[in-house]
Amino acid sequence: MSILQKIKNTVRSRSIHVSYVDVGSCNGCDIEVLACLAPRYDIEQYGIYVHNNPREADVLLVIGSVTPQWVDKLRDIWDKIPEPKVAVAIGNCPISGCVYARRGTLTSPPVEKYIPIAAQVPGCPPRPTEILNAILSVAPLIFKDYEEKQP
Amino acid sequence: MKYLYEKDLRQMKYNILTSTKHDEAVRAIAERLGMSDAKLRMVLIRRFDMSLLENLESRWQMGQRHADDGDPVAKGLGYELFTRFIPLVDTETMQTIYSDTTAMTQEIPFDEAIARGKEQIREAVLS
Amino acid sequence: MKKTVDVSVPLGPMHPCWKEPVRLKCETAGERVLKTELELGYMKKGIERIMRGRPWQEVMFLAERVCGICSVVHNMVFIETMEEISDIPVPPRAAYLRVVVNELDRMASHLIANFSYCYTIEHETLAMYLLNTREIVLDNLERITGSRINTAYMIPGGVRFDLLPEDAAAMLADLVKVEDEMKRYVRIFETGPLIALRSKGIGFMSREEAIRSHTVGPTARASGVEDSDLRLRHPTYQALDFKQITRTEGDNFARIMVRFQEVFQSIDLIRKCVETLPDGPIRGGGLCKAGEASYAGEAPRGELTYTIKTDEYGRVVDIAIRTPSIMNIEACAHTMIKGATSIADVTSTFISSDPCVACNER
Repeated sequence: MSILQKIKNTVRSRSIHVSYVDVGSCNGCDIEVLACLAPRYDIEQYGIYVHNNPREADVLLVIGSVTPQWVDKLRDIWDKIPEPKVAVAIGNCPISGCVYARRGTLTSPPVEKYIPIAAQVPGCPPRPTEILNAILSVAPLIFKDYEEKQP
Repeated sequence: MKYLYEKDLRQMKYNILTSTKHDEAVRAIAERLGMSDAKLRMVLIRRFDMSLLENLESRWQMGQRHADDGDPVAKGLGYELFTRFIPLVDTETMQTIYSDTTAMTQEIPFDEAIARGKEQIREAVLS
Repeated sequence: MKKTVDVSVPLGPMHPCWKEPVRLKCETAGERVLKTELELGYMKKGIERIMRGRPWQEVMFLAERVCGICSVVHNMVFIETMEEISDIPVPPRAAYLRVVVNELDRMASHLIANFSYCYTIEHETLAMYLLNTREIVLDNLERITGSRINTAYMIPGGVRFDLLPEDAAAMLADLVKVEDEMKRYVRIFETGPLIALRSKGIGFMSREEAIRSHTVGPTARASGVEDSDLRLRHPTYQALDFKQITRTEGDNFARIMVRFQEVFQSIDLIRKCVETLPDGPIRGGGLCKAGEASYAGEAPRGELTYTIKTDEYGRVVDIAIRTPSIMNIEACAHTMIKGATSIADVTSTFISSDPCVACNER
């Protein structure tokens, strides 16, 4: 392993920028993601910084089943995130559509149709600790030795 | 990559108007204006933004409760109702129609003058 | 004189300040905002269409998923509408427990609204304090109902779980802590000179404008609209001697302060409820019948109306939900932001009206 890769690994393990996008949920999961910011869970002690800018994000949290406006825009947001990147589905909605995947709905789940999802956190809504745990366990898998893993 | 994106919102705006309460409100407004529902829907979708469409029903309700107290001509035309509560007609046009109608009430019967004023409002809405 | 170029500034759908996607297009001359247009549809799930033709047992859970922040009150208003249709009586103990849970939910909702505002004006310290206080409130909600967000606590003719004496004692102890902390935070907010600079006199909405666009809830009460709290008409709240909070400034500062004051009021209401909690059953029972009713209740953001038509099996034939955010967001976009002297005030003004896009679009 090159020395450059080692430095990159160290830096990446302690600096994860998270961006979240709500593609049509009841915003219950939204506020649970926000609750991770609270000093009780203290997401920043793990070096995770939550903000909402896809251009400098590493992890994209996708919340909600996909509404008509997001069908084309979700892919755009995914393309704007620089490599290496990972998308995590939060809640039941991006996985299956939850209660919205029924007759008469305007949504078109799942999110996997639009962007690749690396991890899923089921729950309606999942607890902040579960969200935190998912980010912490999936990020190292993708970011460690990223350049060497490239073909 | 696209930097500017404007999506066709007409289908989504129509979806808003299909809700039970909104549909009732649109029908009531169309009846008040004396035009067909479909034409009014077209105008609404073209002129209003989505938030105003969502709020159509409660604005219509408040308009009926609070708009145009006192003046019979303004009440007949819906002066405040169609400029401030449901902004279908701009204020200057409405002011012209209002003064025309007020002048007409001196010459012809009140009801007929109001009917002519309403005709002008319809034209302004459809223009 | 240099001619300023008129620009259209689009904000969103993904914006650091906004928790939910919405696109706000501001037409500006220099820094002054002339006109705003709101583009929705990012959260339109069509829940009214999903609800149609389903039994009330399902719609009860769907009603919660209209909005995650104020899920308790959506549940409560739906259930109370069903009770009104079918004439199901509520045992007094259950009615009081409903008030306790509803007020806890209101506190959580107001705290996250004020958190968002403080976060938007970059007062992160106060924002984090408020978010941490919200966790204590959610703990109590979880202790009573078993869930943090979507509680499904109420059912026609009662509630699901009783309030155990030890839970009540723990809740009262927590509320003392919350009240002490909140007093400090309100003092920070009220006396902070920089907060005042960014909040006082900004995003002004007069009483007439508030009435014209049918503004409800704290947004209306901050503009001095009297008798705009539907809790005044609710029998249980009447028994608890509820008084409405009104301020007259009508700016961002007033809207946030109304929410702060309502948190204290909620604490008092919960205390009164626990003190005077009547004994008896928590679940009466009854049968959902055919009928049609329109019922309104006070959500954290204002008046929430459910219009439901059911058939004889208790299935929902037709439903229309009017959420408070419909009116508040519209009033905010078209009257408060219009005429703002700076683009920088647009985000904070928008957040100050506590916009809940999931509610707005359903």
